[in-house]
Amino acid sequence: MKKQDKPFAFRGQYLLLVVAVFYTVLFFVNSHSAWVAMQKSSTIFLKILPIFVFVIFFTTLLNYLLQPKKITRHLGKDSGVKGWFWALMAGVISHGPMYAWYPLIEDLRSHGMRDGLTVVFFASRTIKIPLLPMMVDYFGLTFTIVLSAYVLLGALFQGLLLEMLKPTKG
Amino acid sequence: MDKKQSPQRPVFLKVLQKSSLSFLAMAPLLLGVIGLVGLFQVLVTPQMLASLFQGDPFLDTLTGTLSGAAAAGNPIVSYVIGGELLDQGISLYAVSAFILSWVTLGFIQLPAEVAVFGGRFTLYRNILAFVFTMLIAVLTTLTMQVLS
Repeated sequence: MKKQDKPFAFRGQYLLLVVAVFYTVLFFVNSHSAWVAMQKSSTIFLKILPIFVFVIFFTTLLNYLLQPKKITRHLGKDSGVKGWFWALMAGVISHGPMYAWYPLIEDLRSHGMRDGLTVVFFASRTIKIPLLPMMVDYFGLTFTIVLSAYVLLGALFQGLLLEMLKPTKG
Repeated sequence: MDKKQSPQRPVFLKVLQKSSLSFLAMAPLLLGVIGLVGLFQVLVTPQMLASLFQGDPFLDTLTGTLSGAAAAGNPIVSYVIGGELLDQGISLYAVSAFILSWVTLGFIQLPAEVAVFGGRFTLYRNILAFVFTMLIAVLTTLTMQVLS
């Protein structure tokens, strides 16, 4: 199946417009808060900019090195246990906010990634490897291990349940 | 042996251009979400979140899940607030639910999720994440009680 290129079109202009209206209203009501909120948003943007760059390059590499058929084989309906494993690991390793990964996941889905694996990816993101020492510090080692184990199991169950409730397009 | 003709590999720069353009197309969506996160961090303080908990384990687990979903920011902040909540005597059920839903659920990013993945998928994913957040919070706390 040959994928047709979609024509370029911006998405989310209305959301951006609504947010801009919020900021404008806040600016008139409480200009200091609006200014601080803008500063915070700018800081967040700068912090996740490297993740955006990584996502663009990773998407490029995937599309360059792997033919769509190969992606489907690893993450599609016939991916088997390996597909679940990769989705789980990718979720655990992935850093930054969930929305930063939307472009990559959307691209993989367009190549046939199963919906169940998408759910597993997002659900397993609760485990953040760089933040584990901090979690241990706040809540203890036992809590961290128990929670992480349930998160991984829960992620797999969520993926399986989704496929039962909403059969994947494959 | 017949040599199978493999599909020609695309030019790297073309693929890079295509990936960059599809990312650029999503820029207003992502900027909108980032703008909302900034607004949320200013308008909703950790103290406001902590005041939502009443001391009832079940209701607090539900509150923890909903407030974690409504909150936004780095997960480290959820650990700090979670630690404060535990110090204030809020149950581990609620705190576990709070730090779990902080990452997996997000009211702020819902419009973007719907726009990218579609309403049906977003609905299923969020319902599952909501139910499993509550379930994992309860199971973790019960397991901790058994272990201690």
